[in-house]
Amino acid sequence: MVGTPVDLPEAAGRRFTDGAFTSALTVPDFAACLQMGLEPVGFVQGFCVMQWGWQGFAGPSTAGMGGMGYRSGPGDAGQGYSESWQCPHGFVSMEHRSWGQNFEQAWVEQAWATGFTAAYGRLIEEATALGAHGVIGLVDTSGPLGDLGVVEFRVQGTAVRVLDGPAPHEGRPWSTYLAGQRLAKLIEAGYAPVSIAAAAASVRVWASCVTGYLTEGTATAFAYQQVGAEIEQTAKAHMAVRRIARERVRAQLGGDSLHGASMTTSERELGEGDAELLCVLRGNRVRRFKAFDPMPAPRPTVRLL
Amino acid sequence: MSDTPADLPEGASRRLEELEQGLFTSDLSVNEFLLIKEVGFHPLGFVMGSSIYHTGIQTRRWSQSQELTKLTGAMYEARELAMTRMEEEASELGADGVVGVRLDVNYYEWGKDAAEFIAVGTAVKAENGVSHRNKLGKPFTSDLSGQDFWTLMQTGYLPLGLVMGTCVYHIAHRGLGQTLGSAGQNVELPNFTQALYEARELAMTRMQDESNRLGASGIVGVRLEEKSHQWGSHTIEFLSLGTAVVRTSDQVTLPTPTTIISLDN
Repeated sequence: MVGTPVDLPEAAGRRFTDGAFTSALTVPDFAACLQMGLEPVGFVQGFCVMQWGWQGFAGPSTAGMGGMGYRSGPGDAGQGYSESWQCPHGFVSMEHRSWGQNFEQAWVEQAWATGFTAAYGRLIEEATALGAHGVIGLVDTSGPLGDLGVVEFRVQGTAVRVLDGPAPHEGRPWSTYLAGQRLAKLIEAGYAPVSIAAAAASVRVWASCVTGYLTEGTATAFAYQQVGAEIEQTAKAHMAVRRIARERVRAQLGGDSLHGASMTTSERELGEGDAELLCVLRGNRVRRFKAFDPMPAPRPTVRLL
Repeated sequence: MSDTPADLPEGASRRLEELEQGLFTSDLSVNEFLLIKEVGFHPLGFVMGSSIYHTGIQTRRWSQSQELTKLTGAMYEARELAMTRMEEEASELGADGVVGVRLDVNYYEWGKDAAEFIAVGTAVKAENGVSHRNKLGKPFTSDLSGQDFWTLMQTGYLPLGLVMGTCVYHIAHRGLGQTLGSAGQNVELPNFTQALYEARELAMTRMQDESNRLGASGIVGVRLEEKSHQWGSHTIEFLSLGTAVVRTSDQVTLPTPTTIISLDN
């Protein structure tokens, strides 16, 4: 057994020096794992609790401050995606929004990356302590912790060793969200898992008057558009947040392929048309290690339910 | 058959006597039933155990993250009682093991701070008469489904017992000074990370201790559950559960997977 890194809690060290293995794999995945020549060595995990600073200044209570006020967040040096919309109406009233803006919230993206990377790093640290070749069946979640206004990032998986394999490459285990037959199929197709890849993108929509009216579904006289028309500003924000997430993940690939990607976008409504979008893209970074052999012809089956 | 243990209610003994005469009850699906028969086991009966437990309260320091050992002990003992009673029912039937065990906690309106811990499953017995009881002479327990049970047997492993570990933990509230100190910043809060890490590790270590007592070679299907029950959001129970298994043969008898096309919709 390799020595336990000093960063891990004491209990983790005790757990790892025990004889028995633990695994979060389901029995079918466990069986598939053994068949591939992978042996589970331990359930590994990593966590990070983050103060989530944007709650302090992106709330709806500050909506009267105007678009520019939001750009002074920490870590945002004014770079990244930004697009603005001018009011086509001329002066209407003091409450009428004369312009709108979509902008990337770099500080949210950085906070997400910090929390996720720290939790993932700790999981890899645990796997390294176990002398594992890889970590399979990764699951990552994040969520608020009680009513503390903080967010916890959690990453869990099962560390495995390749039976009769050489020592782990450079001591750093590979990782994948896949397990069981899905992983077996990937390897059969000639790809080896390298690591997981994940990134988050955040875009704030500060609605222009037109966007606000269209979202509300009333006052179409001001919107100059038919009901049922595209809401350009919101649509562009949705496209931009997904594009940024894709670019971030692509930058992590270093020439490898992304397999089994999943993209989730959530929207936090802050007012009429005002919203904050968060897009998380995660997938498996894989590398071809042998040519693809065509698989045997599939056999048709009927299941007796 | 032996007398019913004094611990079980009278109703149970009548039901079990009927089961001993050959009738069996089970909550297995038809597929599960066939698979369990395929690996040489026969269902004996649906068994259960329950315990109504008053979990009480424990004072928590407002600003301190700590384990609540009294509550941990209560959650542990209550589940243990339910599991033991289910094992007793299974023993009474002469079972080798219990499959498909579910462990639940229910709260009722009539009992404040009281919870019912209930364990249910299907008792099974090997058809060839070979005992599969574990090191402690008790029937093995496992939360594996019939399908999982079949698959596990093909890999040369046998279940030994459903093992668990729990830790009830109180997470500190943050003082106004601390909150203001880091307002508007995105930073890690190492104290919270460390506290939750420790709590989960404690639960997992306890689960592993149980599996070591059974002489297991490993635990499969580990789950880590988090529940606040009725204690408010700052007190969390971390429960880890899994099935301890032992390797009995190096032979993996699973057929090589073949690609199929399903003709179902």
